[in-house]
Amino acid sequence: MSTDTPLTYSTTCVELRTSSDDWDAADPALLEAMLVQMTTVRVFEEIVLQLAGEGLVHGPAHSSIGQEGSAVGSVLALRGSDGVNGTHRGHHQFLAKGLTFLRPEGMKVAEGIKDEQVLEFLHRTMTEILGLKSGFSGGRGGSMHLQWLKAGALGTNAIVGGGVPLAAGNAWAQRHDAQTGSGTNGMDVTVTYFGDGASNIGSTLETFNLAAAWDLPLCFFIENNLYAVSTHVSDVTGEPRLGARGPGFGIKSWRVDGMDPLAVYLAQQAAVQHMRSGKGPTLIEAETYRYFHQNGPFPGSAFGYRSKEEEKQWRDRDPLDKVAVEMIQRGLLTGEQREDLQSRITEMITGIVDGITEKDPESSKGARRIRPALWPDTLTVDDGVRAEPVTAGPFLDDGAQTATTTRRFVDAIADVLGRRMATDPGVVILGEDVHRLKGGTNGATRGLKDSYPDRVLGTPISENAFAGLGGGLAMTGRYKPIVEFMYSDFLWVAADQVFNQIAKARHMFGGQSGMPVVLRSKVAMGAGYGSQHSMDPAGIFATSPGWRIVAPSTPRDYIGLMNTALDLQDPVLVLEHVDLYGEKGEIPEDDLDYRLPLGQASIRRAGKGVTVLSYLNMVDMALLAAEQRADLDAEVIDLRWLDRASLDWDTIEESIQKTNNVLIIEQGARGTSYGAWLADEIQRRFFDYLDQPIQRVTGREASPSISKVLEAAANASLDDVLAGFDEVARNLGHS
Amino acid sequence: MATIITMPAVVADATEAAIQQWLVSVGDTIAAGQPIAEIETEKATVELEAEAQGTVGRLLIEPGTSVEVGEPIAVLVEPGEDESSIDRQIAAASGATESESQQPVPSDTEAPTLTDTGEAPAAGPSTSPRERVFSTPIARKLAKDAGVDVTALNGSGPQGRILRRDVELALSHPAGTVPTTLPADSPAPAEPSAGTKGEAVPLAGSNFEDLPLSGMRRAIARRLTESKTTVPHFYVSIDVSMDALLALRRQINDGFESTGLKVTVNDLVLKALGGALTDTPAANATWQGDSIRRYSSVDVSVAIATDDGLLTPVIRGLDRLSISALVQTMTDYKERASTGRIRQQELEGGAFSLTNLGMYGTKEFSAILNPPQAGILAVGAAEQRPVVRDGELAVATVMTCTLSADHRVIDGSVGAQLLSSLKRRIETPLSLLL
Repeated sequence: MSTDTPLTYSTTCVELRTSSDDWDAADPALLEAMLVQMTTVRVFEEIVLQLAGEGLVHGPAHSSIGQEGSAVGSVLALRGSDGVNGTHRGHHQFLAKGLTFLRPEGMKVAEGIKDEQVLEFLHRTMTEILGLKSGFSGGRGGSMHLQWLKAGALGTNAIVGGGVPLAAGNAWAQRHDAQTGSGTNGMDVTVTYFGDGASNIGSTLETFNLAAAWDLPLCFFIENNLYAVSTHVSDVTGEPRLGARGPGFGIKSWRVDGMDPLAVYLAQQAAVQHMRSGKGPTLIEAETYRYFHQNGPFPGSAFGYRSKEEEKQWRDRDPLDKVAVEMIQRGLLTGEQREDLQSRITEMITGIVDGITEKDPESSKGARRIRPALWPDTLTVDDGVRAEPVTAGPFLDDGAQTATTTRRFVDAIADVLGRRMATDPGVVILGEDVHRLKGGTNGATRGLKDSYPDRVLGTPISENAFAGLGGGLAMTGRYKPIVEFMYSDFLWVAADQVFNQIAKARHMFGGQSGMPVVLRSKVAMGAGYGSQHSMDPAGIFATSPGWRIVAPSTPRDYIGLMNTALDLQDPVLVLEHVDLYGEKGEIPEDDLDYRLPLGQASIRRAGKGVTVLSYLNMVDMALLAAEQRADLDAEVIDLRWLDRASLDWDTIEESIQKTNNVLIIEQGARGTSYGAWLADEIQRRFFDYLDQPIQRVTGREASPSISKVLEAAANASLDDVLAGFDEVARNLGHS
Repeated sequence: MATIITMPAVVADATEAAIQQWLVSVGDTIAAGQPIAEIETEKATVELEAEAQGTVGRLLIEPGTSVEVGEPIAVLVEPGEDESSIDRQIAAASGATESESQQPVPSDTEAPTLTDTGEAPAAGPSTSPRERVFSTPIARKLAKDAGVDVTALNGSGPQGRILRRDVELALSHPAGTVPTTLPADSPAPAEPSAGTKGEAVPLAGSNFEDLPLSGMRRAIARRLTESKTTVPHFYVSIDVSMDALLALRRQINDGFESTGLKVTVNDLVLKALGGALTDTPAANATWQGDSIRRYSSVDVSVAIATDDGLLTPVIRGLDRLSISALVQTMTDYKERASTGRIRQQELEGGAFSLTNLGMYGTKEFSAILNPPQAGILAVGAAEQRPVVRDGELAVATVMTCTLSADHRVIDGSVGAQLLSSLKRRIETPLSLLL
């Protein structure tokens, strides 16, 4: 007969409620700061909705009116060097973090926001929401992407749950700073705010696990306002008490009334204490309510998914009223003072808006418009996609004569990674099994865990979370993560972090931070791993601005290109092909510091007949075919840098002007082909120099199969490459 | 009003021709029918005659330049007309082309390509709208830079696409000597050296000189290489006693004395060959790739050596031609061949060839077929040789004839029958007069 023994979680989820005693004990200055901040947020947001109603806010205006208590209560428990991020509904968090950063000593009812720095902050926030150049991100981010790194506002996010892994990166950096003594004043913490909707998405749940596994000082702050747009939380989860999820991941959790700012403050205070002492992540669920619909100035009841009665019940528990009432009861405030505070704040923010808007001369109804001079210069539309290239070491010319030694490709990877970890304490390696198996599945991180145990991180199998954690690390400006994808196809699993977050962050936030993520991605074509492990991701990454792409074909190039990649402030994809791991090549002796210049291709065979463009393992195959078709006098170019910004257009142009014929050779499937993009660029840039259509060699349509013969048939082979040469010849009128 | 003279279609399907030499200069007054230029094609040089009288206002094409058929090559003016009226006339000609190109075309037809000047390409004969000429971007760019009409070139790429090398070849052979097509396997042409600009330039200190190829030389080289390497030749020889024929020739020439005509041994052998081909219709045939074509008429090409190479005008209806008519035709051909005045159509057709090196004392030789012809008869000198007759050694005038035949068309026995018939007709020559 089996027996059931109830298991208990290793940690708890508790519900925190305040009593009159708590209010009595609360520092009056804290309550005053709460009231001023919440009133500021409320008035600010009401004015944003007013502007939205006038059509002056381009895109959605997600108001948090009703939720001020959770954000303000939480942020007041933080210090300036702590970090926060949030979601599309993030005005209140951002304002609270900025105000607390500017006025850590608190804010007085008598003074309100009559403060030059505070007004400037509100002005920059308002202009950012309106998409104007004086905004924090120059108007790039708007309402949903508010970032002020100096204040610890890491950036709000329009992808539900998208910011959570990034926050984990910040938290990892804070923990490492504290452990290595570079942090002052104990461990800083990060709070990531999100809603009930984001509680169900993978990136959030993956990060719960990752943060708990690594004891990150990260607080998952769930503002449970009950509705994901119109969908009630109980409609979409079996445990609508979202705080209950924490213990399942080993995360200490609190559930509080989000309409009680003091309760939130106390819960956050306890959570911060837990985190600062190095005990790992925390979770706070604040039950709250947005008075309006998802966005815009109408209540949710207007859309029929909830009742006016329900809305009235929540409004009756308004957090501003709650604090004001408690303060009035304790003689800390009068009703007149409160009204006066509100009118002064309204006047000030209205004044800000008056400076931004003017009467629309084309309107017969007296409408306002944005003052035209405040819009960003449209010529800057692509500015900040990438950072200015920097280099921190000597360049090695391709023709340089140096003493060399023979080294296996995969050993050269471990060599240069180890060298960079030794010289740069900010380099962190993370990926699946990178810390075991004598250097990961292929030996590329061999020996590194022993030398740098704190900076070589074997991750859970959650690419979205650890790629995003890398992104968050990179945004600190202090760390350079080297993330490994065991197989390139996993990019789809991590696609939000790779493309929506890491690729776009710099440009979207107006260039406030770099994004020096190096992503090592294994191309395993030919290894028999089948349809879901055999892609060449170059073509996909080439579509994503921000990413630079490096494709080394020799051990020597790998070292130089990895060093250059690590110097850059941009995300760089470094492709590694399994066929090359075991290849031996000559590398400079006793030199792991040389760089290969950004954007320099290598002419591996000079010729005048046809320009052959290739990369990775296909370079050698192209060279082999070029010798077999010596009559075509091919010039074989190893591209080395593949992205739009880094591609060596000069070398390509010079070659095409000479040969007038182009053959692009790649191994992988047609659909995700890199060559398609490249061919398009070439025909537009060099059309007048072409003597035949741009010819391409690719794999077949489908992803390679497991069957050895089918896989070989799916990938481009030497025969396919030779057929490409034949096609070039045919178009030249040769047989 | 000024009149535009365009490049004529010398051969029915020719797409281009070269001005070898202008016979008139700007300012010359010319009469209708007056030769104004020599035009060189692959096979012949012909004179272009003026169709109307006028004054030469402008010559548009440099000698040695190959242009497309239908391209304007010269302008005639009337008294009082100046340069601007010439310009107007040329502009009007291209305008007419544009309006032509604006006529409705089927929706799946490509619009005419623009030339490098941005105008519609010059039209060919107005009755047939020009098809689109494919050329690669670099070919167009190079041609434009060099001031060459790219659409006038022949393309060696897929679907006749004009490639870079086609332009470069044209630029390196400015004398209009561009072969119409490149051999399929020829490598891209090397950069033209200083000595290949159309003149023989002996290099200092060298013991040779490089002679540039004329269009005819190129055509010979290409066609014979193709023949010798792709046609399965076989050879049959026969000795023919010539005494009776020589006696007959003397009699004929005596009779012709007053006319000034003179019949040659070759004329009579040609006539005999005509008869032999009538006797052996299986040999009067050509190879058509997927069929064999037999002819009801006997048309034989006769090789005439010139300083530039071999010309092969055709004697038509040889089986019905009288000796005197044959002699007249041959005399005319030989005269005109020596001055390059053979007309293109006189070179076309012919199912069989006769070639004779007897005048040089050649005993015998084998010739290369001229496709699609299936036979060529090579005739040596008629010379006195010892022969055996009825067991007795004797002296006779004997000539060796060697047939080269395309085995795809002619079997050995057919070839032997042909030669047997030839021998019989030569040795009993009175039949030649029938």
